[in-house]
Amino acid sequence: MTKTEERKAAVLPGSSGQDVQPPCAPVLTAEELISFETEIAEAFNAGKIRAPIHLYYGNEAQMIEIFRDIKPDDWVFCSWRSHYQCLLKGVPREEVKAEILAGRSISLCFPKYRIVSSAIVTGVLPIAVGVALSLKRRGETARVHCFAGEMTAETGTFHECLKYSTNHQLPIRFIIEDNGKSVCTDTREAWNQPALTYENSRHPLVAYYKYQSKYPHAGAGQRVQF
Amino acid sequence: MKYFDEMCRAMEFLAHDPRTIFLGQAVACPGTIMSNTLKNVSRGKLLELPVTEEMQMGMSTGLALAGHAPVCIYPRWNFLLLAVNQIVNHLDKLPIVSNGGYQPKVIIRTGIGSERPLHPQHQHVGDFTEAFRLMCKTIEIIRLDEAEQIFPAYKKALEREDGRSTIVVEHGDYYNEK
Repeated sequence: MTKTEERKAAVLPGSSGQDVQPPCAPVLTAEELISFETEIAEAFNAGKIRAPIHLYYGNEAQMIEIFRDIKPDDWVFCSWRSHYQCLLKGVPREEVKAEILAGRSISLCFPKYRIVSSAIVTGVLPIAVGVALSLKRRGETARVHCFAGEMTAETGTFHECLKYSTNHQLPIRFIIEDNGKSVCTDTREAWNQPALTYENSRHPLVAYYKYQSKYPHAGAGQRVQF
Repeated sequence: MKYFDEMCRAMEFLAHDPRTIFLGQAVACPGTIMSNTLKNVSRGKLLELPVTEEMQMGMSTGLALAGHAPVCIYPRWNFLLLAVNQIVNHLDKLPIVSNGGYQPKVIIRTGIGSERPLHPQHQHVGDFTEAFRLMCKTIEIIRLDEAEQIFPAYKKALEREDGRSTIVVEHGDYYNEK
């Protein structure tokens, strides 16, 4: 798949649809993203990372499309799974890898690139709202992009943050990544809700996509003896 | 000066800084004992929020990350408990997990509920000062037992350059008694 094809593979709401400025970094290919996670998985399985890792797979086209709409001055907020966001925001590959090898995959933060991550469910949501509020009050043109899993998107905190952001017209969008599970819990089954709250909505501040990963919630699918 | 007057003076001092913004419930309108201490703060600096303690705290951290100096107000410790995740897991830990890269500086105002002349009962008079000292690694908790402690505490909270946030603990009964 070419870069152009990858970009067109996912059509996501919540995007400005404007191509006025270039994206924040040279767009990586799906193969490059997958290769990075494979390298991290191998390092983990070899016992070289003494901390949890949470790997992406199967959402490369959607992520590349999402980052077409993210500019260098924009803020990106992530959960415990954030390798792709860091790479696509422009953090050098080796810099991301060094932080992961140092055991910080679960809460990667890169102030220079305006990336904030948290290992706690819903943790970054209100922080992202606060940054968006600041940007609006200062009249800045930067925007906030806040990633959340589908279980996170069902919480009260998500509801509050989206409502406040919508009603106050804050420069923020929430990107819901639906892999169907929260750790091992089936989100739809747990809520007894076949269709989740935002998966069929066209909310202007919400982008939603589904994907299926080959990796488990944490680790790389292999028992590691330290 | 008395406890209440010193509190007003401290808030006016904070308001003079262009970075500050005061947020919470009963901030831009009457409603709590703390509301009266903001009477001389300009309306543009007061952000009345819905009752969303967790979101309020996270928003304060976000405002601080973006360069503001938020004054996040919870009139009682018991109300602040609803924001513990954002205080203990995020505001307190961001400087650590980011290797010092992020140092959001938030001033949190909270209080021990007054018991005299009316006792509001046990969900309104908690004092969790020591518990929060145990839970927080970077946030400093300062308790205001005397009027003369008030202004220096808030001045320190605003001007500190060590990357730490501050929880300032007021005492409701002292508004009338000291």
